[in-house]
Amino acid sequence: MNASPAPLAPTRAPSLHATGMRKVFGELVALDDVELHVRAGTVHALLGENGAGKSTLVKCIMGFYRQDAGTVRLDGEEVHVRSPKDAQAAGIGMVYQHFTLVPSLTAAENLVVARADAPAIIDWGKERAKLQAFMARMPFRVPLDVPVADLSAGEKQKLEILKLLALDQRFLILDEPTSVLTPDEADEVLGLLGRMAHEGQITVLMITHKFREVSAYADDVTVLRRGALAGSGPALSLGVERLSRLMIGETTLRARAERRPVDGDTVLELAGLFAHHPDGSEAFHGINLKVREGEIVGIAGVSGNGQSALVEALAGQRPLSDGRIFIRGEPFEPKRDAYHRFKVFGLPEEPLKNAAVPRMSVAENIAFRSFDRPPISGAGGWMSLRPLRQRAQELIERYRVKTPSPDTPIEHLSGGNVQRAILARELSGDVDVLVVANPCFGLDFASVAEIRAQIMDARNRGAAVLLVSEDLDEILELADRVAVMSEGRIDYVAPIGETDRTTIGKHMAAHGP
Amino acid sequence: MLGTAPPGVAMAKAKAPLRLGPAVEVVVIVTGALLTAAAIFSLFLLAIGHSPVRFFELVYIGGFGSSFSFQNTLRRAAPLILTGLAFAIPARIGLTMIGAEGALVIGALAAAALAVPIVTQGWPVALTLTAMALAAVFAGGLWTGFAGWLRHSRGVNETISTLLLAYIATAVLFFFVEGPLRDPGSANRPSTMPIGRDYMIGTLPGTNVHWGLVAGILCCIVLWLVMSRTTFGFAVRLSGGNPRAALAQGLPVGKLVVLCAAIAGGLAGLAGFFEVAAVHGQANAALVAGYGFTGILVAFLARQNPLAIIPVAILFGALAASGGLIQRRMGLPDASVLVLQGTIFVTLLAAETLYGRFKIFRPRGDER
Amino acid sequence: MDLTDSALFTVLVAMLGGAIRVSTPFLFVAVGECLTEKSGRINLGLEGNLVLGAMVAYATSFHTGEPWLGVLAAGVSGIFLGLIHGTLCSLPRVNDIAVGIAMMAFGTGLAFYFGRPYIQPPAPLLPSIPLGNWTGIPSLQRALEINPLFFVGIAVALLMSWFFRSTRWGLIVRTTGDSAPAAKAMGVNVDLVRILATASGGFLAGVGGSFLSLYYPGSWNEGLSSGQGLMAVALVIFARWDPIRCIWAAFLFGAAGAIGPAFQAIGITQGFYFFNAAPYILTLFILASSARSRSSAREAPGELSIVK
Repeated sequence: MNASPAPLAPTRAPSLHATGMRKVFGELVALDDVELHVRAGTVHALLGENGAGKSTLVKCIMGFYRQDAGTVRLDGEEVHVRSPKDAQAAGIGMVYQHFTLVPSLTAAENLVVARADAPAIIDWGKERAKLQAFMARMPFRVPLDVPVADLSAGEKQKLEILKLLALDQRFLILDEPTSVLTPDEADEVLGLLGRMAHEGQITVLMITHKFREVSAYADDVTVLRRGALAGSGPALSLGVERLSRLMIGETTLRARAERRPVDGDTVLELAGLFAHHPDGSEAFHGINLKVREGEIVGIAGVSGNGQSALVEALAGQRPLSDGRIFIRGEPFEPKRDAYHRFKVFGLPEEPLKNAAVPRMSVAENIAFRSFDRPPISGAGGWMSLRPLRQRAQELIERYRVKTPSPDTPIEHLSGGNVQRAILARELSGDVDVLVVANPCFGLDFASVAEIRAQIMDARNRGAAVLLVSEDLDEILELADRVAVMSEGRIDYVAPIGETDRTTIGKHMAAHGP
Repeated sequence: MLGTAPPGVAMAKAKAPLRLGPAVEVVVIVTGALLTAAAIFSLFLLAIGHSPVRFFELVYIGGFGSSFSFQNTLRRAAPLILTGLAFAIPARIGLTMIGAEGALVIGALAAAALAVPIVTQGWPVALTLTAMALAAVFAGGLWTGFAGWLRHSRGVNETISTLLLAYIATAVLFFFVEGPLRDPGSANRPSTMPIGRDYMIGTLPGTNVHWGLVAGILCCIVLWLVMSRTTFGFAVRLSGGNPRAALAQGLPVGKLVVLCAAIAGGLAGLAGFFEVAAVHGQANAALVAGYGFTGILVAFLARQNPLAIIPVAILFGALAASGGLIQRRMGLPDASVLVLQGTIFVTLLAAETLYGRFKIFRPRGDER
Repeated sequence: MDLTDSALFTVLVAMLGGAIRVSTPFLFVAVGECLTEKSGRINLGLEGNLVLGAMVAYATSFHTGEPWLGVLAAGVSGIFLGLIHGTLCSLPRVNDIAVGIAMMAFGTGLAFYFGRPYIQPPAPLLPSIPLGNWTGIPSLQRALEINPLFFVGIAVALLMSWFFRSTRWGLIVRTTGDSAPAAKAMGVNVDLVRILATASGGFLAGVGGSFLSLYYPGSWNEGLSSGQGLMAVALVIFARWDPIRCIWAAFLFGAAGAIGPAFQAIGITQGFYFFNAAPYILTLFILASSARSRSSAREAPGELSIVK
């Protein structure tokens, strides 16, 4: 092993061939005889829906899991990777969605500690000189002496990549790199990596579920579907239509759902909303937005631009520093009585984390809206458990929640069933206002279709729906109007028929750092 | 995957594997941990040349063997029930409050301080005791309620703040007991003025167990009902299980946090009241006896269940009560009971890791 | 005029000497706790290490006649408790705060159990270095009789600060404490790092205990510790997880603890309890004013349960 971050020797990009990869978890076949051929010096996209097996495959390559069958060859040599450490030794490095940088350490400290061969006693004068020399050779730079916590998401991503390059990792795996980057940042980072690949310095494997990225950045593409290889080939030869058919099977792309025209009054009005993060920085700035009866307004944006803070503010999880929320012209405070009076409901992302109490039973979770009202609550706050259970039974059947019993802790249910239980709680009554955030995050295809249909149904019954989503396709499918949030502001709102993906993408990056 | 199973609730009846359920799981794991602790301690005794059989026999005799020793046990259990509750109740809303010691001291001091003027004025006994109890509950409640408020409004971790407050409470006690409230008659051990035999709260008829035990048991039952059967308890459990979800339901999580913290302090303050009105008759350094800290472990062993706190506190009362007998009969220091207690605590906490590991305890149909 | 001057002088000198004496055990437990917390774990049980360390040191010194061997033995007893704490907390779902309290009970229980025979007999105590002879003032000479452990403690704090900045292991401990996933991705065995950090922290706390029984107050009894071990946690927060600031914090806490005896030296026996509590009130105040600030969020190890 080298004692220092060795200079990048040219033409050392490896090829990687994984064949016959199989991985079974209990009764679930996560990978079934999958093949992946990544040519040296290329950018290769690994495409697939959530749960298609992309991350299982990559985790096998990285040594987080041991595959049940199959071999991995690097430059034709079989490699046995039993741990991420082995992967590092073999020159395989991965940039995760959740950064693996240490927030309180500076960039320099992060780069040094990541090295397996870091000296026991660190001579900072020498190390800094080496790091600066290394930085000078790199296509992009990051300040060395700032704690990582103070870097922007783009800088962190760059630092992650620099870390791998400093470790002399020539096979880079990027896990959905654009989920934290603005389109501009993505173009910069992925463009530069592509150039390095084509110069033969590195090979890049990029996990994604977005077609656009495949055609924009990848030389080749491998598509997985339900744990099996669906197809592969040069990215240019596979058009979007072909890719989508490979990725989601023979079903056609979802058409925009049936809807009746919007002609109702304004129900929900956000008037000049401001909020801050706990550390005092601004989360969003002067949000003005109106949602009419029977209308879905979609808020698009790259994650981390204030959308989740906005959802939190509407859900009472974050105080507003200024501005008012109005419902049908009356001021609305996110308090229990107001939720009830104005019929405001919500479907947050990751419901087990945001809308359920994992250890309470399914019946109790379904009763969150009704436990303090008759017939469940009587005099002095005494609760009758019979109506609570009865109501739960009804909704469990109506919404087809698969649970062993209403008394099972909800954490024991699958993700789709948790979301169904929450849908049952939030959508079974009269809904005037519905706030939805990434409702289909991490759910399987069938659940996604069902949940989108439910949201559309609520709209058609007259609810004013605010849909915050990082999935532009979801917004294009569901929304009547789209608003774009960037750097905590909304500067662009347009009816869905008068805009397109490119325009929206441009506004998503409008204020890019 | 549940993909092909018919929807609805009547699903898992087809093949019914033997399932014992989570309630049995608690009993089995707790009992197992207790036996393990006893085994470890037996090895310790054997290593230093004593008979474990004799030791546990004496624990039994000293704790439960006669009506006298059982009363001794109950007397020691009384404050533990209340301080155990003082940990368990805020734990339901997700607070780890380790400051019952401080609230107990402050409650006791408030009760003793209030007693000084009103006893001299010759108020009726019942009224005096009621006033003292209220003062203790109120003072204790304010003391830890402050920690809850710091948590809610300033984001200060309640574990640290209650620990600091416990320390500050001791300083406050010493300040008053050796200063403004000192009874000139208390020469060697500075104390407040004794409330006098007439004003001491009595014992249960026919025993020498004071009424603090009854108060503790009542509090356990009432709080168990409140936590499991009222909207307040439901809201507390919701907020403790997932504060984000509770906020999204419009619940006043902050207020509930402060309230639970204050209830905890009130319970510990009540324990302090009984220490003054039933045990010591005055406030002095003897109040700092570690009941607050032992209560934490009682609550942990009872898994935060108010009803389970009663037997657990009695068990620990028996251990403490048997210390003297073990010292006399076996020549072991009474600290051997402390070692056994420590071993039990450590084993029990380690056993937390076993929950959910055994399929046999899961509800039917849960085949994760 | 002259009288008040000399009274003030007496108090100040007594406080200086007292602060140095009282702060030494604080310094050891604080630096030990600092190391443990930097690895992302909290040990509330250092009180047990302190008391057991005091007992073991005294007993060892009594039997061998060699007080420095007692110091070492105290450290080893601290490692023993630290290893138990560290190992138990590495099991999933085991709560480190509760284990800390249980270890406090366990450690003090062991100390009281085995310490019974050592309450009476005198054991050889640690020597001190007379640093004040040049002053020619007896009270100052007494105040400046300093135990070598005080300087060892300062050296350990300085060394630890360097360790965190400039050694690979130091960076690994900080990484583990700040982001366990990052440490795991590097192939670091997070549990092992934390167990070792807790054991080392336990060693230092045990040494701190030996100071109590072998120097000041300089005997073994069951009321020896006045909660220094328990307050280590507050001290580390006060010092914002910086070993060098731990020195100042320990000195401040020590000085506050020394106010009482210093006042007693001039005949004031009341009212100093609030000074004793002052550091805790101050810590609480600092927490309340800084808990949500960005800088304090960065200083606190991200994995620490009590700052989440």
